[in-house]
Amino acid sequence: MSGFFDEGLAGVVATWIAALVTIGVWAYLAGERRFFRLAQHLLAGLATGYLTVLAVREVLIPRLLEPLVSDPGGQLLLWPALVLVLAMAGARWLARPVVAVPAAILVAGVAAFALGGAVVGTLLPQMAGTLLPPGPAGSVVNGLIGLVITALVLVGFLHGVPRGRLMVGAAGTGRWLLLGGIGGWLGFLLVSRLALLVDRLQFLLVDWLGIAR
Amino acid sequence: MTDAGAAPPASGRFRGRQRPRGMALWWPALLGALSIAVLIGSAAATGTLQLANPDQSSVSEVRAAFEALPDDALVVVGMDADLGTYPEIMPAVRAAFDDLLARGASLAFVSVSVEGRAVAAAELARLRSAGADADALLDLGFTSGVEAALVRLVSDALPAGASGAVADTVTERGGGLAAFDMALLIGGGDVGPRTWVEQVGTRLPQLPMVGIAPTFAQPELVPYLRTGQLEALLATVRDDAAFVESVAATNGEPATAGGSPSAAAMLLGMLVALAVLGRALVGALPRLRGPAPPQVTEDDEA
Repeated sequence: MSGFFDEGLAGVVATWIAALVTIGVWAYLAGERRFFRLAQHLLAGLATGYLTVLAVREVLIPRLLEPLVSDPGGQLLLWPALVLVLAMAGARWLARPVVAVPAAILVAGVAAFALGGAVVGTLLPQMAGTLLPPGPAGSVVNGLIGLVITALVLVGFLHGVPRGRLMVGAAGTGRWLLLGGIGGWLGFLLVSRLALLVDRLQFLLVDWLGIAR
Repeated sequence: MTDAGAAPPASGRFRGRQRPRGMALWWPALLGALSIAVLIGSAAATGTLQLANPDQSSVSEVRAAFEALPDDALVVVGMDADLGTYPEIMPAVRAAFDDLLARGASLAFVSVSVEGRAVAAAELARLRSAGADADALLDLGFTSGVEAALVRLVSDALPAGASGAVADTVTERGGGLAAFDMALLIGGGDVGPRTWVEQVGTRLPQLPMVGIAPTFAQPELVPYLRTGQLEALLATVRDDAAFVESVAATNGEPATAGGSPSAAAMLLGMLVALAVLGRALVGALPRLRGPAPPQVTEDDEA
């Protein structure tokens, strides 16, 4: 059903391994931890190996080493990149100030792109979308409800500020609305996880055991 | 400290493992019941339990976006699903691939997440073994850096050594993501349509974006649909099922597409979840009413 496995022997072996590992993980629910630990170690080992192969084959060799070897003088920016990669690879043996440089560049670069994207791609467009001129009555009512809920939830986060009875009531309502929102999101999460559980059951019953194929 | 709370010594058939107690005893029963529901659901007549959403608005938006594509369109597939949640959206993703390929579009797969790359490689292999036109598929590979990688892809999406009809067309059109007519964004837990909208959408606002994401991502992604940053979105199991049905009705049943989850099993699972929630609420009611009034003892009265 997944369509990933071939019809031949390799597919049969892959299906059996997937089925046994699935059952091994579920055995944890019945108190059997040895198979679960084995599956955990298998996952960690496979993930580490896969990550290493991916980094070497799809990043370091084609984007760093091959361009440097083929045209050492044409890609000048790759030389400092090579130094930074070597500094990260030798982090265990190098002095902390040396390792801090590539680490800082890495963290700062990621933060800059993520923060800039969040502001320009999410915050500003969403604010602009919220400030649309009044349209049909239904959208105005929806907008007002959204505004009231947002305001109440924000008031719920006010801590240590002198407040009267009205503000205390608004903050309590805001906290309950926040809980309602989290509950709704957990409902989405439940459906999502339930679909995954049912998918695994269908894999065992249909792909592995061949029932109801 | 007493031994009252300690686990009893392992003995008999539970030697070497924890003795199942409490909720652990319910899990096998739940799995068994769900298995029966899967079997009953597959044996029951079609339509007895309907998983597909009768509200076809999401499906219509996705199909309208596909229909608006030009002939021989180039579609970049941002495959950043994760292995844990991909099975939920897999039927809809495969239906989207089938639909696009049937319309004559070419698909170029790119990933900026490690797990997404594994899924992309597996899907490309599946499409090729299923007989998809090799000239209509292109593997753009993995680009590291997530946000930084997306920014790089805007100007340079083709990896060194990329060849074929699709690669040639992309080169002719500039080599970046602007060469594509649409971005189909497959999301996971971390990276997905939101990251693409923030990094690529701000730089290429003319590139139409369609998202397919797991259910839990829907509350996060719907606002982008409202602002028009996403053209269409499939992000619930029911919308996914409706989309798969819609594509199958138009193009015929795909050969290798995975099926949607069993409606009977989903219904049973949700009923069990509601029962657990109801039990928890009943247990929490005394606390919700507030603290109990202090007991007045004879000493206090004195």
